[in-house]
Amino acid sequence: MTDIEYIRPLNLKEALSFLWEKGEDTKIIAGGTDVMVDLRSDGLDKKYLLDISRLEELKGIELNNKELSVGAGVTLSEIYSSKILKSNALALKKSAKNFASKQIRNIATIGGNVAHSSPCGDTVPALVVHDAKALVADKKGTRLVSMEEMATKAYMSCLSPGQILVKFILTPYQGGFTDFQKIGRRRELAVSRISMAVFVKKDKDGRISFLKIGLGACTPTPCKMESVEAFLTGKIPTENLIWEAGGILAGNMIKITGRRSSAIYKEPAVQGLFMRILYPVVKS
Amino acid sequence: MVHIEFTINGQKAALDIPADITALETIRSLIGLKGTKEGCGIGECGACTINVDGKAINSCLMLGARLDGTTVVTVEGLATKENLAPVQEKFMENHGVQCGFCTPGILMSAHALLAENPDPDHKEISRALSGNLCRCTGYSQIFVSVKEAAKLTDQLNQLKKVGG
Repeated sequence: MTDIEYIRPLNLKEALSFLWEKGEDTKIIAGGTDVMVDLRSDGLDKKYLLDISRLEELKGIELNNKELSVGAGVTLSEIYSSKILKSNALALKKSAKNFASKQIRNIATIGGNVAHSSPCGDTVPALVVHDAKALVADKKGTRLVSMEEMATKAYMSCLSPGQILVKFILTPYQGGFTDFQKIGRRRELAVSRISMAVFVKKDKDGRISFLKIGLGACTPTPCKMESVEAFLTGKIPTENLIWEAGGILAGNMIKITGRRSSAIYKEPAVQGLFMRILYPVVKS
Repeated sequence: MVHIEFTINGQKAALDIPADITALETIRSLIGLKGTKEGCGIGECGACTINVDGKAINSCLMLGARLDGTTVVTVEGLATKENLAPVQEKFMENHGVQCGFCTPGILMSAHALLAENPDPDHKEISRALSGNLCRCTGYSQIFVSVKEAAKLTDQLNQLKKVGG
């Protein structure tokens, strides 16, 4: 038994005031599906557990003025069943489909998935595709953080002890083609080895007019893949062209990670997954 | 210590618990309901599944303090004094149980599924139970049991309607 104290603030302001004073000694808990595993294996060298799971300010999915916001406290189950996300951020909805298990989706939050900064967080590639910015608050104010800045290294977010992730602001996409796919050791309850989200729009002539790519579990922190997007934009997507672009994507990954032992698998697998995810665009 | 009050299997519970224990420890060690099992303790196996406000969750991954204000059903709360719940009845009838260690968790996942989706197909059952592992691997009997439980639940609901 330890002398950890449990705090459940009534609103965001109260939570931020608490963190301003005692952030260094506090572990924030939302869904808890990562924190509880750490608690079990190593214990927590903190004095306080701050439960933000009931903060109303962190809930809700809203669309207004071409701005799509997803509260950091929204659970993966809520993401999967959201009609707003189905029509404005389908890749994010799809990323929640095979996220861990039903029991975990019912309690785990998108904010926790991002703040935990695991390279294989399943919501991350879709957030990258939607150019998501995280609204981060502390007692003094708020700031917007891009997904690329969110993690400083694997399992390390840029959040300071006084800060709480409040919501994500996404660019909504309608129409076009969008998908999320992942490769794991099995279909359900699997940690992603590779995950990928895409959004593609084609013009009247069948050329790619807009493309966003999010690659997950392959780089220590989230990265944009702008060179691949630029390579394909303005071109008619043939099988050969997508294959070539997949090669560039895999090459970008290697540039970031170096040639690690897993590269012998990951390099062709990234190229293959890129082909698989974009194949419907070739055919249509 | 944290003071929590919640409803478990229809009964009010009020107790003081250490801040860093799980909902599973709270239910097993402090309340004394041993039906909920600890398998892996890290959310991989689902043996500790309970229903919180109607949703299946892993009680090993839930902080005990978070039980405050919720309505919980554990495997002990499925049956009434007179009857087993349809899932229990059908697991028994169709040999959905082998060693039985995973069964409470599977029953709770199945129970939450049927509340949400009264007529699940094979794929939907598979997805709802994918967070529950059975080391005896009697999965086909488990599928049959859940399908039969869905039918029985439907029949009982029809009877209720007829009965007024």
